[in-house]
Amino acid sequence: MLLQVEGVSKQFHNSVHALRDVSFSVEKGAFVSVIGPSGAGKSTLIRILNGSERCDSGSVLLGGVPLERARSGRRRALQKQIGTIYQDFALVENVSALQNVLHAALPDMRGLPAALGLFGKARRAEALALLERVELWDKAEEPVRDLSGGQKQRVSIARALMRHPVILLADEPVASLDPVTGRQILELLKDLQRQEGLTVLMNSHNLELSRAYSDRLLGLREGRIVYDGPADADPAQLEKIYARGQEETP
Amino acid sequence: MRKRRLLRLLLGLEVALALVLAWRFTGCSFARFWQRRAHMGDIFGKMLPPDWGYFPRILSPLWATLQMSLTGTALGALLALVTAPLCAANLGRPRLLRLPLRVFIQVLRAFPTLILALTATFLFGLGSFAGAVAITLYTFAILTRLNYEDIENAPTGAYQALCAMGSRRGPAFFRACLPQVGSSFLSNALYLLETNVRHSAILGYVGAGGLGLLLNEKTSWREYAKVGSILLALLLAVCLIESLSAWLGSLIRGQRRIGPGAKRLLLAALALLVLLSTATLEAPDFSRGNLQTAKSLFSGLFSPELSLFLVPGRDGLGWLLLETACIALVGTALGALLSLPLAILGSGRLMPRPAAALFRLVSVAVRSIPFLIWGLIFIRVTGPGAFTGVLTMAVCSIGLLTKRFIAAIDGVDLRPWRALAAMGVSPLLRLRHALLPQLLPALGSAALYRFDVNIREAAVLGLVGAGGIGAPLIFAMQHYAWREAGAISLSLVLLVWLVDLLSGKVRRGVRG
Repeated sequence: MLLQVEGVSKQFHNSVHALRDVSFSVEKGAFVSVIGPSGAGKSTLIRILNGSERCDSGSVLLGGVPLERARSGRRRALQKQIGTIYQDFALVENVSALQNVLHAALPDMRGLPAALGLFGKARRAEALALLERVELWDKAEEPVRDLSGGQKQRVSIARALMRHPVILLADEPVASLDPVTGRQILELLKDLQRQEGLTVLMNSHNLELSRAYSDRLLGLREGRIVYDGPADADPAQLEKIYARGQEETP
Repeated sequence: MRKRRLLRLLLGLEVALALVLAWRFTGCSFARFWQRRAHMGDIFGKMLPPDWGYFPRILSPLWATLQMSLTGTALGALLALVTAPLCAANLGRPRLLRLPLRVFIQVLRAFPTLILALTATFLFGLGSFAGAVAITLYTFAILTRLNYEDIENAPTGAYQALCAMGSRRGPAFFRACLPQVGSSFLSNALYLLETNVRHSAILGYVGAGGLGLLLNEKTSWREYAKVGSILLALLLAVCLIESLSAWLGSLIRGQRRIGPGAKRLLLAALALLVLLSTATLEAPDFSRGNLQTAKSLFSGLFSPELSLFLVPGRDGLGWLLLETACIALVGTALGALLSLPLAILGSGRLMPRPAAALFRLVSVAVRSIPFLIWGLIFIRVTGPGAFTGVLTMAVCSIGLLTKRFIAAIDGVDLRPWRALAAMGVSPLLRLRHALLPQLLPALGSAALYRFDVNIREAAVLGLVGAGGIGAPLIFAMQHYAWREAGAISLSLVLLVWLVDLLSGKVRRGVRG
């Protein structure tokens, strides 16, 4: 198993239970969607998986190595294998698309060249190739603020790929895009999965899109996994993910 | 795109080269400063503890200082409100009116309040009336310029629609344009009120009333404990005005709301305050400045002694102007360098709140000490000359720059910072690649703005023997050498105009 999540719980200071005893695993090359209503804990899960947040209990294993207990240096080494894309892209807006992609090379560079932003020919060529892969070759030198939402998300994907990630985490990647652009971005992710064997774990509140593009669905509700099964299951089974709270709790 | 980056690099190199040359030209030397650093404490040490018994004597000049700034800011703002629409190019007003007005504003803008006040004392006699006139003119010039630029950037569709329906231009402006630029105008006026309080505290040096008179007297008598209490009183007044202005500013920007009744009450109170300060202003004294003085003043100013421009060497106008520009340039750069760490420490977003508040207080304290006092402190360390001017300018820039830098840091987008953290990038590299690119344009434009201010302020450094063109100008004026004063003033106007042009070019380069 590439990613194993075992009994992960997380509670915030305002005593909201974000995650309760969440367990699942993802095999290499899968396209898994985590679905559920807003506030179900989907984003918290992604932030725990990429090491931005720590969980209160449980463990996350990436390729058999525990991420949770690792401290600074080892933790960063593990984080280098994870690519993340975000709903709001998280790019530096007044810097070119190429520079943003190159930022992903920083963890492997020595101090001085990294500080001066001297990335070298090989890295520039690789970043340009990745921008070409996401069909943005001609926009490489444009500042990100001049790009459309879909183009920004493509830059963000290229930045994630620059790390040669073993897994790509996508936190609501199409929620701030229009439907047509959103589908194009998901097509791209699907292509990357099919052609390059990339493992994708995506968050989404859009059931229809998730069913269309993923192999497997994880239903998250009030911090618990309530569904774990194939994406083409009977829609009636998926209803309970979105069913109203009172009907389920006795 | 590549060409643009190359141009920007070239611009950076030009600025760096200018800085190095100016550094050499003004005779700056860290070694000399470090050697004599202990003398920084000479005067500070004697100011503490302040003379508490002296406070009651300060109250009346302090009120005169506040009077000058309140009256001057209010009158200047009113005048600017009427003049700005005549200067804006997009309201269809006659060119023949607009151009001379703009030239007049540009000329007025070239002079620091202190020089305006000195001129006013020749016409209206010694006392706070002359100070109020100077503050009014200064506020009028700055606000008119800012306001007409705002008007030119605002859409004029509604204004033209009203004019097309047969409305007269004045009412059409107040109905259709003012609502769009009003809040920016009021914020600028408030900001000027803050600066004016600090400016009017030194006008007494040239005889224009207020705290400056006492400050001048006590520093000449070396009664530093009394100077300490004056500065403390000034700090309190500045804090009071700044918190009042911050509160009013949040009302103007709509971040805070009050009921209509409270609003009317507030307006009435403010109007009453301004009226009270205007009505009780010291009356002008025409016994000294008679008609004859006024006549020779104006005729001298308008027929400048142009041969001064051709004098070679250190007494020539060319040399003095260059020195003034260099002092402003190096002073601004040094000030920016000092302000960045203060801003990072003072930002509530990066630091715990109490620590941030403490560092903000430090920056207010630094700002509320008049530049003349800083000049006196530094002259002990580095002796008379341009280096002292540079240090004074640097410290005086800290207040505004820290404020602007903190605003830039507070507006920064932290999402890329978090994204790079999730990829395992170290904090220093994140600072460099995720935050610095976002901050740089704002930092650059703040520094440029301060440079514009400093080039004018540098002209009064001469008053403490800190180099530049100020000493000859003030000397000429005090000796009624109006034709010389006219030539120096003309050169100052030209310098400010030139710097305006250059900094416009750099501004466009920074924006990219």
